[in-house]
Amino acid sequence: MSSGPQPRAAGPVVRVRGFDLALDRRYEPATHIWVADAGPGLVRIGMDPLGAETSGTLAQISLPGVGADLAAGRPFGQLEAVKFVGPLTSPVSGTVRAVNDAVAADPGLIERDPFGAGWLIEAELADPAELDGLLTDAAEITAWYEARIEDYVRTGAIAR
Amino acid sequence: MPDSGTLRVIDFGQVTPLRSQTLWHAVGYGVSAGEPPTLTFARPSAPYVCLGYHRDLAEIDHDYCRAHDLPVYRRMVGGGPVYLDQRQLFFQICVPAGDVSPSRRDALAGLLAPVVTAFEAVGIAARLDSAGEICLGEAKICGHGAGQIENAVVVCGNLIEAFDHDRAAAILAMPDPAQRDQTAALMRRYVAATPADPGAFAAALTGAYATALGRDPRPGHLSAGELAAVTELDELFTSPDWLAGPARTSGRPAAPGAAGRGVKVRGGVWTFAASSGGARIAASVIAGRLEQVSLTAPAMNGQARAAERALVGLPVAGAADALRQFGEPGSQLAAALAGAEGRVL
Repeated sequence: MSSGPQPRAAGPVVRVRGFDLALDRRYEPATHIWVADAGPGLVRIGMDPLGAETSGTLAQISLPGVGADLAAGRPFGQLEAVKFVGPLTSPVSGTVRAVNDAVAADPGLIERDPFGAGWLIEAELADPAELDGLLTDAAEITAWYEARIEDYVRTGAIAR
Repeated sequence: MPDSGTLRVIDFGQVTPLRSQTLWHAVGYGVSAGEPPTLTFARPSAPYVCLGYHRDLAEIDHDYCRAHDLPVYRRMVGGGPVYLDQRQLFFQICVPAGDVSPSRRDALAGLLAPVVTAFEAVGIAARLDSAGEICLGEAKICGHGAGQIENAVVVCGNLIEAFDHDRAAAILAMPDPAQRDQTAALMRRYVAATPADPGAFAAALTGAYATALGRDPRPGHLSAGELAAVTELDELFTSPDWLAGPARTSGRPAAPGAAGRGVKVRGGVWTFAASSGGARIAASVIAGRLEQVSLTAPAMNGQARAAERALVGLPVAGAADALRQFGEPGSQLAAALAGAEGRVL
Protein backbone atom coordinates (compact mmCIF):
# COMPACT_ATOMS: atom_id res chain seq x y z
CA MET A 1 0.00 0.00 0.00
CA SER A 2 1.27 3.45 -0.79
CA SER A 3 -0.33 4.98 2.30
CA GLY A 4 1.48 2.90 4.89
CA PRO A 5 1.43 -0.53 6.42
CA GLN A 6 -1.64 -2.53 5.58
CA PRO A 7 -3.51 -3.90 8.60
CA ARG A 8 -3.34 -7.64 8.67
CA ALA A 9 -6.53 -9.61 8.19
CA ALA A 10 -7.71 -11.47 11.28
CA GLY A 11 -7.58 -14.94 9.71
CA PRO A 12 -5.19 -16.74 7.39
CA VAL A 13 -3.63 -14.60 4.70
CA VAL A 14 -1.51 -14.93 1.62
CA ARG A 15 0.97 -12.17 0.84
CA VAL A 16 1.23 -11.21 -2.83
CA ARG A 17 3.83 -8.56 -3.67
CA GLY A 18 3.16 -6.62 -0.49
CA PHE A 19 -0.60 -7.10 -0.35
CA ASP A 20 -2.01 -9.33 2.41
CA LEU A 21 -5.09 -11.10 1.10
CA ALA A 22 -7.48 -12.73 3.55
CA LEU A 23 -8.14 -16.35 2.70
CA ASP A 24 -11.34 -16.64 4.72
CA ARG A 25 -13.39 -15.10 1.92
CA ARG A 26 -14.08 -15.17 -1.82
CA TYR A 27 -13.07 -12.69 -4.50
CA GLU A 28 -14.65 -11.34 -7.67
CA PRO A 29 -11.52 -10.72 -9.76
CA ALA A 30 -13.04 -8.33 -12.30
CA THR A 31 -14.28 -5.85 -9.72
CA HIS A 32 -11.94 -6.35 -6.73
CA ILE A 33 -14.92 -7.07 -4.48
CA TRP A 34 -14.68 -9.67 -1.72
CA VAL A 35 -17.45 -11.71 -0.10
CA ALA A 36 -17.13 -13.22 3.40
CA ASP A 37 -19.46 -15.49 5.34
CA ALA A 38 -21.37 -13.53 7.99
CA GLY A 39 -23.73 -16.16 9.37
CA PRO A 40 -26.30 -18.57 7.95
CA GLY A 41 -27.31 -17.26 4.54
CA LEU A 42 -25.52 -13.95 5.17
CA VAL A 43 -22.43 -12.45 3.58
CA ARG A 44 -20.34 -9.36 4.19
CA ILE A 45 -19.09 -7.50 1.10
CA GLY A 46 -16.09 -5.21 0.71
CA MET A 47 -13.36 -4.02 -1.64
CA ASP A 48 -9.90 -5.58 -1.77
CA PRO A 49 -6.76 -3.45 -1.24
CA LEU A 50 -5.68 -3.37 -4.88
CA GLY A 51 -9.12 -2.13 -5.90
CA ALA A 52 -8.81 0.66 -3.36
CA GLU A 53 -5.24 1.58 -4.28
CA THR A 54 -5.92 1.83 -8.00
CA SER A 55 -8.95 4.04 -7.44
CA GLY A 56 -6.97 6.95 -6.03
CA THR A 57 -7.88 8.73 -2.81
CA LEU A 58 -11.44 7.70 -2.02
CA ALA A 59 -13.53 10.82 -1.56
CA GLN A 60 -17.19 9.87 -1.37
CA ILE A 61 -19.38 6.81 -1.40
CA SER A 62 -23.07 6.10 -1.76
CA LEU A 63 -24.50 2.83 -0.49
CA PRO A 64 -27.98 1.26 -0.60
CA GLY A 65 -30.34 1.25 2.34
CA VAL A 66 -31.20 -1.79 4.43
CA GLY A 67 -33.81 -3.82 2.56
CA ALA A 68 -32.58 -2.87 -0.90
CA ASP A 69 -32.31 -5.63 -3.48
CA LEU A 70 -28.95 -6.72 -4.87
CA ALA A 71 -28.47 -8.29 -8.29
CA ALA A 72 -25.29 -10.08 -9.27
CA GLY A 73 -23.34 -8.01 -11.77
CA ARG A 74 -25.29 -4.83 -11.05
CA PRO A 75 -24.21 -1.75 -9.07
CA PHE A 76 -25.12 -1.57 -5.40
CA GLY A 77 -23.42 1.76 -4.82
CA GLN A 78 -21.08 4.35 -6.24
CA LEU A 79 -17.57 5.29 -5.23
CA GLU A 80 -15.89 8.57 -6.13
CA ALA A 81 -12.15 9.11 -6.33
CA VAL A 82 -10.12 11.59 -8.42
CA LYS A 83 -13.45 13.13 -9.60
CA PHE A 84 -14.33 9.72 -11.11
CA VAL A 85 -17.65 8.22 -10.04
CA GLY A 86 -17.71 4.48 -10.61
CA PRO A 87 -20.00 1.64 -9.63
CA LEU A 88 -19.55 -0.82 -6.81
CA THR A 89 -20.75 -4.00 -8.48
CA SER A 90 -22.40 -6.73 -6.47
CA PRO A 91 -21.05 -10.24 -6.99
CA VAL A 92 -24.22 -11.78 -5.56
CA SER A 93 -27.98 -11.38 -5.57
CA GLY A 94 -29.92 -10.85 -2.39
CA THR A 95 -31.16 -8.26 0.07
CA VAL A 96 -29.14 -5.72 2.02
CA ARG A 97 -29.33 -6.44 5.75
CA ALA A 98 -26.73 -4.01 7.08
CA VAL A 99 -24.72 -1.03 5.89
CA ASN A 100 -21.41 0.06 7.36
CA ASP A 101 -22.17 3.59 8.53
CA ALA A 102 -18.55 4.06 9.54
CA VAL A 103 -17.30 3.60 6.00
CA ALA A 104 -20.11 5.78 4.70
CA ALA A 105 -18.85 8.53 7.00
CA ASP A 106 -15.20 7.92 6.13
CA PRO A 107 -14.49 6.11 2.84
CA GLY A 108 -10.81 6.20 3.75
CA LEU A 109 -11.53 3.19 5.97
CA ILE A 110 -11.59 1.10 2.78
CA GLU A 111 -7.99 2.13 2.10
CA ARG A 112 -6.83 1.72 5.69
CA ASP A 113 -8.56 -1.53 6.65
CA PRO A 114 -10.13 -3.15 3.58
CA PHE A 115 -10.80 -6.52 5.20
CA GLY A 116 -11.90 -5.21 8.59
CA ALA A 117 -13.47 -1.87 9.44
CA GLY A 118 -13.70 -1.00 5.74
CA TRP A 119 -16.45 -3.49 4.90
CA LEU A 120 -19.36 -2.05 2.89
CA ILE A 121 -22.60 -3.98 3.34
CA GLU A 122 -24.02 -7.26 4.61
CA ALA A 123 -26.58 -9.14 2.54
CA GLU A 124 -28.88 -12.11 2.72
CA LEU A 125 -28.13 -14.36 -0.25
CA ALA A 126 -30.84 -15.14 -2.77
CA ASP A 127 -28.81 -17.81 -4.53
CA PRO A 128 -25.85 -19.25 -2.62
CA ALA A 129 -24.73 -21.01 -5.80
CA GLU A 130 -23.54 -17.62 -7.08
CA LEU A 131 -20.65 -17.90 -4.65
CA ASP A 132 -19.30 -20.82 -6.65
CA GLY A 133 -18.16 -18.46 -9.40
CA LEU A 134 -15.86 -16.53 -7.08
CA LEU A 135 -12.22 -17.22 -6.32
CA THR A 136 -11.63 -19.00 -3.02
CA ASP A 137 -8.57 -21.16 -3.55
CA ALA A 138 -5.29 -19.68 -2.29
CA ALA A 139 -3.40 -20.62 -5.45
CA GLU A 140 -6.07 -19.09 -7.68
CA ILE A 141 -6.18 -15.94 -5.60
CA THR A 142 -2.41 -15.61 -5.69
CA ALA A 143 -2.23 -16.14 -9.46
CA TRP A 144 -4.99 -13.59 -10.07
CA TYR A 145 -3.34 -10.96 -7.87
CA GLU A 146 0.10 -11.55 -9.36
CA ALA A 147 -1.28 -11.07 -12.86
CA ARG A 148 -3.34 -8.04 -11.97
CA ILE A 149 -0.46 -6.35 -10.15
CA GLU A 150 1.78 -7.00 -13.12
CA ASP A 151 -0.80 -5.35 -15.40
CA TYR A 152 -1.02 -2.31 -13.16
CA VAL A 153 2.74 -2.00 -12.87
CA ARG A 154 3.13 -2.27 -16.63
CA THR A 155 0.62 0.51 -17.25
CA GLY A 156 2.03 2.67 -14.48
CA ALA A 157 -1.17 2.52 -12.41
CA ILE A 158 0.83 1.41 -9.39
CA ALA A 159 4.50 1.21 -8.50
CA ARG A 160 5.88 -2.02 -7.13
CA MET B 1 -24.98 -0.25 -34.16
CA PRO B 2 -21.82 -2.32 -34.39
CA ASP B 3 -18.58 -0.66 -33.52
CA SER B 4 -16.72 -0.22 -36.82
CA GLY B 5 -13.47 1.35 -35.66
CA THR B 6 -14.79 4.88 -35.84
CA LEU B 7 -14.78 7.72 -33.38
CA ARG B 8 -18.24 9.22 -33.63
CA VAL B 9 -18.09 13.01 -33.32
CA ILE B 10 -21.23 14.97 -32.50
CA ASP B 11 -21.32 18.76 -32.20
CA PHE B 12 -24.58 19.66 -30.49
CA GLY B 13 -23.91 23.37 -30.93
CA GLN B 14 -25.58 25.76 -28.51
CA VAL B 15 -28.20 24.05 -26.38
CA THR B 16 -30.16 24.79 -23.23
CA PRO B 17 -28.35 24.37 -19.93
CA LEU B 18 -30.35 21.20 -19.25
CA ARG B 19 -29.55 19.69 -22.64
CA SER B 20 -25.89 20.63 -22.24
CA GLN B 21 -25.91 17.88 -19.60
CA THR B 22 -28.54 15.39 -20.70
CA LEU B 23 -27.35 15.03 -24.30
CA TRP B 24 -23.96 13.64 -23.38
CA HIS B 25 -25.32 11.55 -20.55
CA ALA B 26 -27.57 9.93 -23.17
CA VAL B 27 -24.48 9.20 -25.24
CA GLY B 28 -23.13 7.35 -22.22
CA TYR B 29 -26.08 4.99 -22.34
CA GLY B 30 -25.71 4.68 -26.10
CA VAL B 31 -22.03 3.76 -25.99
CA SER B 32 -22.82 1.33 -23.19
CA ALA B 33 -25.38 -0.31 -25.50
CA GLY B 34 -22.95 -0.64 -28.40
CA GLU B 35 -22.61 2.75 -30.10
CA PRO B 36 -18.99 3.52 -31.00
CA PRO B 37 -16.69 5.61 -28.83
CA THR B 38 -17.97 9.16 -29.12
CA LEU B 39 -16.62 12.68 -28.73
CA THR B 40 -19.25 15.35 -28.18
CA PHE B 41 -19.24 19.13 -28.02
CA ALA B 42 -21.86 21.52 -26.67
CA ARG B 43 -22.16 25.09 -25.49
CA PRO B 44 -24.86 26.17 -23.02
CA SER B 45 -27.16 28.97 -24.13
CA ALA B 46 -27.31 30.49 -20.64
CA PRO B 47 -25.45 30.36 -17.33
CA TYR B 48 -26.21 27.66 -14.77
CA VAL B 49 -24.74 25.68 -11.89
CA CYS B 50 -23.85 22.02 -11.98
CA LEU B 51 -22.71 19.79 -9.14
CA GLY B 52 -21.10 16.38 -9.05
CA TYR B 53 -22.99 13.19 -8.36
CA HIS B 54 -22.10 12.89 -4.68
CA ARG B 55 -21.96 16.52 -3.69
CA ASP B 56 -24.13 18.16 -1.07
CA LEU B 57 -26.74 20.63 -2.31
CA ALA B 58 -25.90 22.72 0.75
CA GLU B 59 -22.59 23.60 -0.91
CA ILE B 60 -24.53 25.92 -3.24
CA ASP B 61 -25.87 29.39 -2.39
CA HIS B 62 -29.42 28.81 -3.61
CA ASP B 63 -30.56 32.34 -2.78
CA TYR B 64 -27.88 33.70 -5.09
CA CYS B 65 -28.78 31.22 -7.82
CA ARG B 66 -32.48 32.10 -7.62
CA ALA B 67 -31.74 35.82 -7.66
CA HIS B 68 -29.62 35.42 -10.79
CA ASP B 69 -31.84 32.88 -12.59
CA LEU B 70 -29.23 30.14 -12.41
CA PRO B 71 -30.77 26.67 -12.60
CA VAL B 72 -28.97 23.91 -10.72
CA TYR B 73 -28.44 20.42 -12.15
CA ARG B 74 -26.75 17.35 -10.74
CA ARG B 75 -24.54 15.37 -13.12
CA MET B 76 -23.66 11.66 -12.96
CA VAL B 77 -19.92 12.24 -12.92
CA GLY B 78 -17.65 13.48 -10.18
CA GLY B 79 -16.22 16.77 -9.04
CA GLY B 80 -17.60 19.77 -7.21
CA PRO B 81 -20.21 22.46 -7.82
CA VAL B 82 -19.28 24.73 -10.73
CA TYR B 83 -20.56 27.80 -12.49
CA LEU B 84 -20.97 27.27 -16.24
CA ASP B 85 -21.93 29.65 -19.01
CA GLN B 86 -21.97 30.24 -22.75
CA ARG B 87 -18.33 31.28 -22.81
CA GLN B 88 -17.31 27.69 -22.15
CA LEU B 89 -17.14 25.01 -24.83
CA PHE B 90 -17.96 21.66 -23.24
CA PHE B 91 -16.51 18.42 -24.54
CA GLN B 92 -17.07 14.81 -23.50
CA ILE B 93 -15.27 11.65 -24.52
CA CYS B 94 -17.20 8.44 -24.00
CA VAL B 95 -15.74 4.96 -24.51
CA PRO B 96 -16.69 1.41 -23.50
CA ALA B 97 -15.48 0.67 -19.98
CA GLY B 98 -13.57 -2.33 -21.29
CA ASP B 99 -11.43 -0.06 -23.48
CA VAL B 100 -9.76 1.70 -20.55
CA SER B 101 -7.70 0.61 -17.59
CA PRO B 102 -9.71 -0.80 -14.69
CA SER B 103 -7.67 1.58 -12.56
CA ARG B 104 -9.79 4.75 -12.38
CA ARG B 105 -6.74 6.89 -11.84
CA ASP B 106 -5.05 5.39 -14.89
CA ALA B 107 -8.18 5.58 -17.04
CA LEU B 108 -8.69 9.23 -16.20
CA ALA B 109 -5.09 10.16 -16.94
CA GLY B 110 -5.28 8.33 -20.27
CA LEU B 111 -8.46 10.11 -21.33
CA LEU B 112 -7.19 13.53 -20.26
CA ALA B 113 -3.88 13.26 -22.13
CA PRO B 114 -5.47 14.11 -25.53
CA VAL B 115 -6.90 17.28 -23.98
CA VAL B 116 -3.39 18.45 -23.18
CA THR B 117 -2.35 17.58 -26.73
CA ALA B 118 -5.21 19.67 -28.10
CA PHE B 119 -4.31 22.68 -25.98
CA GLU B 120 -0.73 22.43 -27.19
CA ALA B 121 -1.93 22.24 -30.79
CA VAL B 122 -3.67 25.60 -30.44
CA GLY B 123 -0.62 27.22 -28.88
CA ILE B 124 -1.38 26.80 -25.18
CA ALA B 125 1.40 25.15 -23.19
CA ALA B 126 -0.92 23.08 -21.03
CA ARG B 127 0.19 20.24 -18.81
CA LEU B 128 -1.43 17.67 -16.55
CA ASP B 129 -0.04 18.45 -13.11
CA SER B 130 0.54 16.15 -10.16
CA ALA B 131 -2.84 17.10 -8.68
CA GLY B 132 -4.54 15.82 -11.84
CA GLU B 133 -5.47 19.27 -13.13
CA ILE B 134 -4.90 20.57 -16.65
CA CYS B 135 -2.90 23.75 -16.07
CA LEU B 136 -1.17 26.63 -17.74
CA GLY B 137 1.52 27.71 -15.34
CA GLU B 138 -0.07 27.45 -11.92
CA ALA B 139 -3.63 28.08 -13.13
CA LYS B 140 -6.22 25.45 -13.89
CA ILE B 141 -7.55 26.02 -17.40
CA CYS B 142 -9.93 23.09 -17.84
CA GLY B 143 -12.47 21.68 -15.43
CA HIS B 144 -13.08 17.96 -15.66
CA GLY B 145 -15.12 15.15 -14.18
CA ALA B 146 -15.45 11.46 -14.94
CA GLY B 147 -17.77 8.59 -14.35
CA GLN B 148 -19.08 5.28 -15.50
CA ILE B 149 -22.57 5.18 -17.02
CA GLU B 150 -23.64 1.55 -17.29
CA ASN B 151 -20.75 0.03 -19.27
CA ALA B 152 -19.34 3.25 -20.65
CA VAL B 153 -16.74 5.58 -19.18
CA VAL B 154 -17.13 9.29 -19.82
CA VAL B 155 -14.74 12.15 -19.13
CA CYS B 156 -16.02 15.69 -19.56
CA GLY B 157 -14.19 18.98 -19.65
CA ASN B 158 -14.34 22.49 -21.02
CA LEU B 159 -12.47 25.09 -22.99
CA ILE B 160 -12.86 28.23 -20.89
CA GLU B 161 -12.86 31.17 -23.29
CA ALA B 162 -13.67 33.65 -20.51
CA PHE B 163 -14.34 33.08 -16.84
CA ASP B 164 -16.48 35.01 -14.39
CA HIS B 165 -14.48 34.43 -11.21
CA ASP B 166 -16.80 36.48 -9.02
CA ARG B 167 -19.87 34.51 -10.06
CA ALA B 168 -17.99 31.24 -9.76
CA ALA B 169 -17.28 32.11 -6.13
CA ALA B 170 -20.71 33.62 -5.48
CA ILE B 171 -22.62 30.44 -6.34
CA LEU B 172 -20.87 28.62 -3.49
CA ALA B 173 -22.37 28.70 -0.02
CA MET B 174 -19.80 30.38 2.18
CA PRO B 175 -21.35 32.00 5.23
CA ASP B 176 -18.03 33.52 6.26
CA PRO B 177 -17.38 36.70 4.20
CA ALA B 178 -13.64 36.42 4.73
CA GLN B 179 -13.65 32.96 3.18
CA ARG B 180 -15.75 34.22 0.30
CA ASP B 181 -13.23 36.99 -0.40
CA GLN B 182 -10.28 34.62 -0.11
CA THR B 183 -11.93 32.07 -2.41
CA ALA B 184 -12.68 34.69 -5.07
CA ALA B 185 -9.09 35.92 -4.88
CA LEU B 186 -7.70 32.41 -5.25
CA MET B 187 -10.03 31.72 -8.18
CA ARG B 188 -8.72 34.80 -9.97
CA ARG B 189 -5.19 33.53 -9.41
CA TYR B 190 -5.63 29.80 -9.96
CA VAL B 191 -8.41 29.46 -12.57
CA ALA B 192 -7.68 31.00 -15.95
CA ALA B 193 -9.41 31.33 -19.28
CA THR B 194 -7.56 30.38 -22.44
CA PRO B 195 -9.10 32.30 -25.32
CA ALA B 196 -8.22 29.80 -28.02
CA ASP B 197 -10.29 29.61 -31.18
CA PRO B 198 -12.99 27.08 -30.25
CA GLY B 199 -13.17 25.64 -33.75
CA ALA B 200 -9.45 25.04 -33.86
CA PHE B 201 -9.53 23.54 -30.38
CA ALA B 202 -12.39 21.20 -31.28
CA ALA B 203 -10.55 20.07 -34.41
CA ALA B 204 -7.36 19.48 -32.45
CA LEU B 205 -9.21 17.57 -29.75
CA THR B 206 -10.91 15.40 -32.34
CA GLY B 207 -7.57 14.55 -33.89
CA ALA B 208 -5.95 13.90 -30.53
CA TYR B 209 -8.66 11.48 -29.42
CA ALA B 210 -8.71 9.76 -32.81
CA THR B 211 -4.99 9.16 -32.51
CA ALA B 212 -5.11 8.10 -28.87
CA LEU B 213 -7.96 5.65 -29.48
CA GLY B 214 -6.70 4.49 -32.87
CA ARG B 215 -9.98 5.35 -34.54
CA ASP B 216 -11.22 7.21 -37.57
CA PRO B 217 -13.23 10.34 -36.61
CA ARG B 218 -16.57 10.67 -38.39
CA PRO B 219 -19.45 13.10 -37.81
CA GLY B 220 -22.42 11.34 -36.31
CA HIS B 221 -25.76 11.82 -34.65
CA LEU B 222 -27.75 10.38 -31.81
CA SER B 223 -29.38 7.00 -32.27
CA ALA B 224 -33.07 6.46 -31.64
CA GLY B 225 -32.22 4.89 -28.32
CA GLU B 226 -30.10 7.85 -27.32
CA LEU B 227 -32.84 10.29 -28.30
CA ALA B 228 -35.25 8.39 -26.09
CA ALA B 229 -32.69 8.52 -23.29
CA VAL B 230 -32.43 12.30 -23.65
CA THR B 231 -36.14 12.63 -22.95
CA GLU B 232 -35.87 10.40 -19.90
CA LEU B 233 -32.80 12.26 -18.65
CA ASP B 234 -34.51 15.64 -19.11
CA GLU B 235 -37.18 14.43 -16.72
CA LEU B 236 -34.72 12.87 -14.31
CA PHE B 237 -32.40 15.87 -14.11
CA THR B 238 -35.29 18.25 -13.35
CA SER B 239 -36.77 16.08 -10.61
CA PRO B 240 -36.30 17.15 -6.98
CA ASP B 241 -35.31 13.62 -5.97
CA TRP B 242 -32.41 13.51 -8.43
CA LEU B 243 -31.27 16.99 -7.52
CA ALA B 244 -31.26 16.02 -3.83
CA GLY B 245 -28.63 13.39 -4.53
CA PRO B 246 -28.18 9.73 -3.65
CA ALA B 247 -29.97 8.86 -0.43
CA ARG B 248 -27.06 7.44 1.51
CA THR B 249 -24.25 9.59 0.26
CA SER B 250 -21.50 10.47 2.61
CA GLY B 251 -17.82 11.12 2.67
CA ARG B 252 -15.39 13.62 4.01
CA PRO B 253 -17.73 16.55 4.76
CA ALA B 254 -17.24 19.73 2.76
CA ALA B 255 -20.55 21.53 3.21
CA PRO B 256 -21.09 24.29 5.75
CA GLY B 257 -21.67 22.93 9.22
CA ALA B 258 -20.11 22.14 12.54
CA ALA B 259 -17.06 20.65 10.84
CA GLY B 260 -16.35 23.89 9.00
CA ARG B 261 -16.55 24.74 5.36
CA GLY B 262 -13.87 23.73 2.88
CA VAL B 263 -13.80 24.93 -0.73
CA LYS B 264 -11.39 23.52 -3.27
CA VAL B 265 -10.32 26.03 -5.92
CA ARG B 266 -8.09 23.59 -7.78
CA GLY B 267 -5.97 20.63 -6.77
CA GLY B 268 -3.73 21.74 -3.88
CA VAL B 269 -5.47 25.11 -3.47
CA TRP B 270 -8.36 25.53 -1.04
CA THR B 271 -9.97 27.69 1.58
CA PHE B 272 -11.38 26.76 4.93
CA ALA B 273 -13.60 28.50 7.47
CA ALA B 274 -14.73 27.37 10.89
CA SER B 275 -15.91 28.86 14.14
CA SER B 276 -15.76 27.65 17.69
CA GLY B 277 -16.78 29.27 20.97
CA GLY B 278 -17.16 32.72 19.46
CA ALA B 279 -13.83 32.53 17.62
CA ARG B 280 -13.63 32.28 13.84
CA ILE B 281 -10.92 31.36 11.34
CA ALA B 282 -10.85 31.69 7.55
CA ALA B 283 -7.74 30.52 5.77
CA SER B 284 -6.28 30.02 2.30
CA VAL B 285 -4.11 26.97 1.79
CA ILE B 286 -1.69 26.46 -1.07
CA ALA B 287 0.35 23.28 -1.40
CA GLY B 288 -0.39 22.38 2.19
CA ARG B 289 0.65 25.72 3.72
CA LEU B 290 -1.43 28.57 5.09
CA GLU B 291 -1.03 31.59 2.85
CA GLN B 292 -3.66 33.94 4.25
CA VAL B 293 -5.42 33.76 7.60
CA SER B 294 -8.26 35.82 9.00
CA LEU B 295 -9.04 35.41 12.70
CA THR B 296 -11.87 36.88 14.73
CA ALA B 297 -11.41 36.05 18.38
CA PRO B 298 -12.53 38.75 20.85
CA ALA B 299 -11.25 36.67 23.76
CA MET B 300 -7.71 36.88 22.38
CA ASN B 301 -7.52 40.40 23.77
CA GLY B 302 -5.98 41.97 20.71
CA GLN B 303 -3.69 39.06 19.88
CA ALA B 304 -5.63 37.97 16.77
CA ARG B 305 -3.37 39.89 14.33
CA ALA B 306 -0.29 38.39 15.97
CA ALA B 307 -1.83 34.93 15.67
CA GLU B 308 -2.59 35.52 11.99
CA ARG B 309 1.05 36.48 11.36
CA ALA B 310 2.24 33.42 13.28
CA LEU B 311 0.14 31.11 11.15
CA VAL B 312 1.05 32.37 7.69
CA GLY B 313 3.48 30.01 6.01
CA LEU B 314 2.89 27.12 8.38
CA PRO B 315 1.80 23.71 7.13
CA VAL B 316 -1.84 23.08 7.99
CA ALA B 317 -0.83 20.22 10.24
CA GLY B 318 1.37 22.58 12.25
CA ALA B 319 -1.18 25.34 12.67
CA ALA B 320 -2.87 23.75 15.66
CA ASP B 321 0.29 23.95 17.76
CA ALA B 322 0.76 27.62 16.85
CA LEU B 323 -2.84 28.43 17.71
CA ARG B 324 -2.65 26.74 21.10
CA GLN B 325 -0.04 29.32 22.14
CA PHE B 326 -2.86 31.87 22.15
CA GLY B 327 -4.74 30.40 25.08
CA GLU B 328 -8.20 28.90 25.15
CA PRO B 329 -9.53 30.81 22.11
CA GLY B 330 -6.53 29.58 20.13
CA SER B 331 -7.15 26.03 21.28
CA GLN B 332 -10.75 26.30 20.17
CA LEU B 333 -9.69 27.44 16.72
CA ALA B 334 -7.09 24.69 16.59
CA ALA B 335 -9.86 22.19 17.20
CA ALA B 336 -11.91 23.76 14.41
CA LEU B 337 -9.00 23.57 12.01
CA ALA B 338 -7.98 20.02 12.93
CA GLY B 339 -8.47 17.62 10.07
CA ALA B 340 -9.58 20.33 7.65
CA GLU B 341 -7.20 19.23 4.93
CA GLY B 342 -8.65 15.76 4.65
CA ARG B 343 -12.19 17.06 4.47
CA VAL B 344 -11.85 19.33 1.45
CA LEU B 345 -13.01 17.52 -1.68
